[in-house]
Amino acid sequence: MFLSSLASHSPTQRVIRATGVVLSLALAISCSGVSDRSPPGVSGAADPAGTNRLVDDFGDTLRIAGGGAQRIVSLNPATTEMLFAMGEGNRLVGRTRWDTYPLAALSVADLGDGLRPNVEAVLSVHPDLVVLYAAADNRDAAARLRAAGIATLSVRDDRLADFRRVVSLLGKALHDSVAAQRIADSVVASLARVSAATANLPPVTVVWPIEIAPLRVIGGGSYLNDLLTDAGGRNVYGAMSDPSPQVSLEDVLQRDPSVVLTTTATARAMRIDPRWQQWIADTGHRILVPDTALVGMPSVRMGAAAAQLAQLLHPEALSSSGSLK
Amino acid sequence: MSAAIEFQDVRVRYPGGPALAVAGVTFAAQSGTVTAVTGPNGSGKSTLVKALLRRVPLAGGSIAIEGVALGQISLREAARRAAVVPQREEPAFPMTVREYVALGRFPHTSVWSTSDPDGDRAVAAAVERAGVGGFLERHTDALSGGEWQRVRIARALAQGGRLLVLDEPTTFLDMGHEMAVFELLAELARDGMGVLLITHQLNLVARFAHHVVLLHGGTVAAQGPPAAVMTGGILERVYDWPLVVARDPAVGAPMLIPLRAPARITVHRPMET
Amino acid sequence: MRVRFWVIALLALAAAAILGVALGAVRLSPAAIWAALLGHGDSTTVAIVQRIRLPRVALSALAGAALGMSGAAMQGTLRNGLAEPYLLGVSGGAAVGAVAAIALGLNVVLGVPLAAFAGAAGAAALVLAIARVAGGRADVRLLLMAGVVVGAFANAAIMVVYATAPPETVRGALWWMMGSADGADWRRVGWLAAYVAIGGGALVLWARDLDALALGDDGAAALGVDVERASRRAYLAAALLAAATVAAAGLVGFVGLVVPHIVRAAGVRQHRTLLWGTAVVGAALVISADVVARTIRPPAELPLGAVTALLGVPFFLFQLRRLAVRS
Repeated sequence: MFLSSLASHSPTQRVIRATGVVLSLALAISCSGVSDRSPPGVSGAADPAGTNRLVDDFGDTLRIAGGGAQRIVSLNPATTEMLFAMGEGNRLVGRTRWDTYPLAALSVADLGDGLRPNVEAVLSVHPDLVVLYAAADNRDAAARLRAAGIATLSVRDDRLADFRRVVSLLGKALHDSVAAQRIADSVVASLARVSAATANLPPVTVVWPIEIAPLRVIGGGSYLNDLLTDAGGRNVYGAMSDPSPQVSLEDVLQRDPSVVLTTTATARAMRIDPRWQQWIADTGHRILVPDTALVGMPSVRMGAAAAQLAQLLHPEALSSSGSLK
Repeated sequence: MSAAIEFQDVRVRYPGGPALAVAGVTFAAQSGTVTAVTGPNGSGKSTLVKALLRRVPLAGGSIAIEGVALGQISLREAARRAAVVPQREEPAFPMTVREYVALGRFPHTSVWSTSDPDGDRAVAAAVERAGVGGFLERHTDALSGGEWQRVRIARALAQGGRLLVLDEPTTFLDMGHEMAVFELLAELARDGMGVLLITHQLNLVARFAHHVVLLHGGTVAAQGPPAAVMTGGILERVYDWPLVVARDPAVGAPMLIPLRAPARITVHRPMET
Repeated sequence: MRVRFWVIALLALAAAAILGVALGAVRLSPAAIWAALLGHGDSTTVAIVQRIRLPRVALSALAGAALGMSGAAMQGTLRNGLAEPYLLGVSGGAAVGAVAAIALGLNVVLGVPLAAFAGAAGAAALVLAIARVAGGRADVRLLLMAGVVVGAFANAAIMVVYATAPPETVRGALWWMMGSADGADWRRVGWLAAYVAIGGGALVLWARDLDALALGDDGAAALGVDVERASRRAYLAAALLAAATVAAAGLVGFVGLVVPHIVRAAGVRQHRTLLWGTAVVGAALVISADVVARTIRPPAELPLGAVTALLGVPFFLFQLRRLAVRS
């Protein structure tokens, strides 16, 4: 139909139309595809000896030369913690404003947000590796950094199972897989200890609201659900695959969990809401507030996080370190 | 007996307007007569109605209905004594003619007293007088121009006052409907109503009005019976157009015949006193 | 015709209320619900029925009634069938108040509704003030223009907040803007009932003025109405109803627009009965919309405003068809 309209006009008009079509197509192509040049940190065609080759969670390939990345920007609190735990905190030249553990991290340059980061700020510290959280929001930043010639490692560390994988990727990027392995083993072991301590205790039913309006709770698809299970709790929404499903209050009442885990702000809102208040008053259920900074993400302190949760859920049976009394 | 309505040295300025739209107008309309206010565009005719409706404030002078100054009676009381049929009126949502005429009883009820014992009788009388009984259940947006005008007059009659003020009631009506309206107004006047009429129709004014007020530039250029006001000299000066005044063959009232402009393009006459 | 309308409208309201209590994310048997209404039975069921569902039905009903009456009053005052309670700056002001409260971390249960109400009331007052400064009278066209100005300003302010606030704030604010009867508890219902009584009462009391205003400024003045005062009164009462609804349930659109048309189409034209009619039909409509919102995809809930927005589609199609047939 379009072609026939091309044919129906005078030759000059046809030329103009065709040129317009070609130009638009060219524009479209150049906008959509960012050439997938392999970024440096590296030299030319063949991989020299000692070069590590990695594929990250966006499917991008990185080649890191011997010695590993020397100037790292970590735009993810979890990876910042991992880097310090591996003893490589001195290679860090940039973090997000949310990365506040360990204390040493505070002396690293604060570059703003981890989601939709300020690419200029990142470039200004001259990194050779940028670690990003692999959210769709960050694809644009990753592409722009690669176009500027900087290696980007985008990782998705949402679940407990992701932890080992992400740590190992970091190890390869720093050419320090030994340290990475050590961290992974230690964390897994600490989790196993807590799991063992709670194995014979009756599971406590839990609901974990993260927001009141709309009412959204932690579901089965979240790392916190995994942590909770290790800590001797049973998430009443564990069967839902969504990590943070929206549910209705009457559904929560129906499932009748005996513990509510939440943040300080939400707990305050619940204490003012007459419906929550009355339910708590009627049933005598507890509202508990774990340390959000500790339990917030799957990282090196997961063992301590699980221990804290376990102690909150089973105060009579466990001490504050998560071991049986 | 005091006049049905009396304008005493009325001055009106529109908010933000440069000059006075009405600059000292004095006249009276008596009950049982038809008083016509006429004049060129912009001479202040409609402004008088707006001042009566208190849509614009008076900058000076006073308006009195049956001897009582407007400032001393409430809007509702004024509406009970004087019924105005404004130039433009368009119900936003269609209603039946019956409902519309019944709205005329609005000034007789209030939030606190909703009873209106004479209401039904007044509405029925108004309907009959205006001759709209045949289409009471029709909707207001389904009426012809002539029908709509009579319905509006019926509403005004239902208000129950002894003064009827109409602003350009026959603008969009054909000859037949126009005559019907004027006949009705003449009849109402004969039965004791005071009729104040703003209109352009000089020839019909000449035939039906008892008293004519000719406005020019916000002041009264002349007033009196039609024969006194509608003379060639006065009208030519006010309308700035050549014309001839004759007598119409039917009833002998003054009849105005505008002439073609002469071959010289502009016709400017100095204002004669 | 009118009797039939009232019978149907009241039956619809009763049916909607019954469905509102009977249906929900959790399936309850009729016997259990009946027992719970009387206070007997399993405490969870009683809690669900008496403290979650009943307040929601009440809140939805009051919101629907308020919006219906407000819409009828706005359409009568502005002499325009497309006028809506949120038209004159009310929704923009409420949104600014609520979004600012959420961004400041104010408590959702108390702080946001209060801020929304303050924003709405402030915007309405601002619109009146702008119109008065511009023209010295509450001229309808001036009111509309001032409403557009205030609305545009509100949009800009909201965008600034969205751009600079963290994502959770944005999501919370968006959720609020889409409207929900989710936060219904008896205290909130009580407040809304008080405002509806005051605003609705004022409108019903001065309903005859609206009948006269429908004739136009000159026509109304000819009947003895103080046009400026009557318009201002009606506008303020309508704005109060809209602001209270927004504070209680967020932005619930289209109800105020559509319900007056439905009631007028049934032959109810005098504003006194029109107001009662829109209250009943509005209540039934919003209760039904709330039922749909919470039962269509359990245990999640659709925003109430999303369900009522769908109303707009058949309404405008119908109006288009009417226009086409006419011309």
